[in-house]
Amino acid sequence: MKTAMEPSVDLTLRHARCSTQIKELAIQSVLIASSLVAVLTTVGIVASLAFEAFRFFEKIPLTDFLFGLEWSPQTAIREDQVGSSGAFGVIPLLTGTLLISFIAMLVATPLGLLSAVYLAEYARPNTRAVIKPLLELLAGIPTVVYGFFAALVIAPIIRAGGSGVGFEISSESALAAGLVMGIMLVPFISSLSDDVINAVPQSLRDASLGMGATPAETITKVVLPAATPGIIGSLLLAVSRAIGETMIVVMAAGLAAKLSLNPLEAVTTITVQIVTLLTGDQEFDSAKTLAAFAIALYLFVLTLGLNVVALKIVDKYKKQYD
Amino acid sequence: MMKEMTMLSKIMTASVFALSLSACGGKDAPTLPTDNIHTPAQTDYMRSQIKIVGSSTVYPFATAVAENFGRTTKFKTPIVESTGSGGGLKLFCSGLAANHPDITNASRRIKASEVKRCAENGINDIIEVKIGYDGIVLANSRKSPRLELSLKDVFLALAKNVPDGHGGTTANPYKTWNDVNSALPKVNIEVMGPPPTSGTRDAFVELAMEGGCKTFDWVKALKKTDKPTYKTLCHTIREDGAFVEAGENDNLIVQKLNANPSAFGIFGFSFLDQNVDSVQGSVVNGKAPTFENISNGSYPVSRSLFFYVKKDNIGKVPGITEYLAEFMSDKASGADGYLAEKGLIPMTDTEHEKWETSIRALETLTLD
Amino acid sequence: MTDFAQKAYTLETSPSLKRRHAKEARFKWYGRIAITIALSFLVFMFGAIFLRGMGAFQQTKISIEVTFSEQVIDPNGVRDPEILALANYKPILTAALTRTFPNVIERRDKGRLYKLLSSGAVYEMGKLVSDNPDLIGTSQTIWLPASSEVDLFMKGKIDTSLPEELRRIKNQDITYIKALKQSGQIKKKFNTAFFTNGDSREPEMAGILGAALGSFFSLLVCFMIAFPLGILTAVYLEEYAHKSKLTDLIEININNLAAVPSIVFGLLGLSIFLGVFHIPRSTPLVGGMVLALMTLPTIIIASRASLRSVPQSVRDAAFGLGASKTQATFHHVVPLAMPGMLTGTILGMAQALGETAPLLMIGMVAFIVDIPQGVTDAATSLPVQIFLWADSPEKGFVERTSAAIIVLLAFLILMNLLAVFLRRKLEKRW
Repeated sequence: MKTAMEPSVDLTLRHARCSTQIKELAIQSVLIASSLVAVLTTVGIVASLAFEAFRFFEKIPLTDFLFGLEWSPQTAIREDQVGSSGAFGVIPLLTGTLLISFIAMLVATPLGLLSAVYLAEYARPNTRAVIKPLLELLAGIPTVVYGFFAALVIAPIIRAGGSGVGFEISSESALAAGLVMGIMLVPFISSLSDDVINAVPQSLRDASLGMGATPAETITKVVLPAATPGIIGSLLLAVSRAIGETMIVVMAAGLAAKLSLNPLEAVTTITVQIVTLLTGDQEFDSAKTLAAFAIALYLFVLTLGLNVVALKIVDKYKKQYD
Repeated sequence: MMKEMTMLSKIMTASVFALSLSACGGKDAPTLPTDNIHTPAQTDYMRSQIKIVGSSTVYPFATAVAENFGRTTKFKTPIVESTGSGGGLKLFCSGLAANHPDITNASRRIKASEVKRCAENGINDIIEVKIGYDGIVLANSRKSPRLELSLKDVFLALAKNVPDGHGGTTANPYKTWNDVNSALPKVNIEVMGPPPTSGTRDAFVELAMEGGCKTFDWVKALKKTDKPTYKTLCHTIREDGAFVEAGENDNLIVQKLNANPSAFGIFGFSFLDQNVDSVQGSVVNGKAPTFENISNGSYPVSRSLFFYVKKDNIGKVPGITEYLAEFMSDKASGADGYLAEKGLIPMTDTEHEKWETSIRALETLTLD
Repeated sequence: MTDFAQKAYTLETSPSLKRRHAKEARFKWYGRIAITIALSFLVFMFGAIFLRGMGAFQQTKISIEVTFSEQVIDPNGVRDPEILALANYKPILTAALTRTFPNVIERRDKGRLYKLLSSGAVYEMGKLVSDNPDLIGTSQTIWLPASSEVDLFMKGKIDTSLPEELRRIKNQDITYIKALKQSGQIKKKFNTAFFTNGDSREPEMAGILGAALGSFFSLLVCFMIAFPLGILTAVYLEEYAHKSKLTDLIEININNLAAVPSIVFGLLGLSIFLGVFHIPRSTPLVGGMVLALMTLPTIIIASRASLRSVPQSVRDAAFGLGASKTQATFHHVVPLAMPGMLTGTILGMAQALGETAPLLMIGMVAFIVDIPQGVTDAATSLPVQIFLWADSPEKGFVERTSAAIIVLLAFLILMNLLAVFLRRKLEKRW
């Protein structure tokens, strides 16, 4: 009780100095100021990325960057070194990123949705109380752990399995990174979809069940269609998460910038390249170092776009049943 | 329990509240992030701890010395960051202030352009320290036979374009080691190596690839007439999947070699030395990558390792001369020193002595 | 009534209904299977990491009788703890080993003998003596850490069937170890060094205390920034703001920041905090600031939900008694919402604890031996230490990497349990 008194003591002291009105105003401005931090952060991100990216685009034309089919940032870092072509086309990075994200979603979507449906519609409250936190634990595991696991346990298993049935699988395959990332995304999709499914009005279910439909029919024919926009939103959020994931791919996916859709080969992603470009040898202001900021900006815009669309969809959906 | 928790939440509220009240009376936005940001950094203090950046190849040695230095002296243990040779030199040459490193490690010699950059930022006196040699190995799992390669085989297996036999070049057509040289086994070429940003890659390209490339007479002649074409041909590594850029994490490469017996990996000798029970280094030009062959220079793919020190910081940051002394002592970089155990190939006694005296005298670098 | 039952009976036997019920059962099973796959992956991953990592919690130690001769340690008799810690203990150690193995005479053989012990053993002796100067002049039997190779051998991780030159542990070493085993002088003991040391290049001397404290200081900074800012923002948006362009902008910003890849925050830290404000590299201060911006959206979103769940009647009652807006909010609404806010904050902190990618960008990937004492000392963090050890060539680090993961996971699970506990115990249902 004593502690609770303290602010009011403080308050009376302040009373002498400033009138209640000023005080309320001051507090409000502090509140606004702290809320603006979020805006400032965004401004800071855009400014820091855009500034360096702009310098990059002074050296490399924007069209070469956006539509170039070759990524090989090994421009000569010294006068007496021969780099390779020094191509800065973002397309191979994008395909690599999307390939891994696609594999991840291929794993995460069915697992996540089915889990969500089961938890929302079938599971008894007790089961739900145990299973849900356990699933969420998957989301809480640091990505560096997933990366370690993907590189040292899953990749060799996949490779061994592949050579068992006669497939030649590279030791750093998109498959290993994608599979593990998929598992990481399961709780994302399941808990977001869980919310969405729960938001479907009970009356719809009751109507369907009352017509004699089985629970499964009610779910597939009534609940899920009603929840589709929300589910799509949650899937998009998961995709955006997959695209921005760094540690798993840094440790398990490799650096080969190939324009390939073969999941058994090594591919590289945007995030891997950012890490490599900024932690390896850097030349002063070389296009290479600046390229890291340019692809980071690209990544930012990409995830932002996905996110805006996803939130719009979810929002619209929410209003539908409010 | 419940009660205590409510109490806790009230205290929390009170503190947040107090924070917001402190704004009362004029100052507009004390919680803007910039205010949180400034405070500690603006004061220009000098560190009490040495800061080291640079090459990932020198990193295992620098950290070992730093640790021993920290344990055997009253100074704080230096901070060592692995940023790559070029990245380290960039940070090193950015200025003399406290937030720039005192020492940078390099798996190659400093370049004239970098010395110039340093001078522009007021760093005129740099002490160069050579610490020893490193071999670059092409290794595979012990489950597979050891390869005997020539530099020419290495070049033909890994180059993007190879001579077509009619005085021109063609995209590398070789799929298996046997295609390259009929004495080699019929195993797919799959080599995991460092990315272009790595000093190891630089050295591998300059020593192994170029070495093999030069064995073609017309290419050798090309060096004199058309150097850029020569370099592009000799230094470009294939990008069609036979060469996998596996990151700078050499330890992961070793573990991946164990999982994939037909693959090869390119990394520094120290990693081979630590993992002799599971991987083996290929013989190159008849020489195996052993301690002896690298230190006497007969193994063809070896290079010198360095680090660079700001002379101006000696006396400002405590412990730099002592760190230098520790590094150059016989028990560290000498023939039987602890760095040799970590895989460094030490200099010969006479060379070591020569460097030790010049460093003790704090002689600064002059590039010829 | 009977009519009804009759009808139900025929429906029950209709083939289409059977099919539908089978489908129903199958559908239910799909859900179960999906959950089982996800959870068995969790078990598999934890199992694999535990199997790899448990070994690191034990360390092979060798017991020898050493004589702490004053002449070697402190010839001037000043008993200054600093001098005692830095004295050269090597002669004492070699003398003790020679006494244990009187038959080893050759210089080469002696060299191998000395390598049975960790190169850090002498520092442990220094610590022992400086903590307890009375030891000087006495003979003591002490347990010293064995070298990483001996440790791996004792844990059965070295394949002795390989030819000798391929092993880092030679036949000669094995005879020494066998002799020590027979006299009970070599044993696996609990690895306290792992929990009390900073990083080291010798696996047997490497510990996670430095990284754990680095994480702690980063989280502290993160908490100090993100918690007040997050709560104030939430209060503003929920309690004060009227819907306007400004609040829309803030809201959109927060929702989008939540989805910005973490590595982008690292780049922000690199170019603004390090580049513009010159905050010292590699410190928990800059790490915590980057993590704070990253966790801010999580905290705001959770806090808003929590504020929203406080019933309007509480506010109305406060206003009715003459409270001002501020009084109603901070005296009544916020305390009631605090458990939910704390839960959200803890979850945000747990997320920050596991984050690696942004820290790679701001120089926290470094070799740091000294235990950080404050937010401006250079430090790593637990996940970064895992990343660093995964990259070390020494074999002894393989199990230590997994052990560090176990510790990190233990912290995370603790934090999550705390959040669950708070939610269960304190959250009121209105």
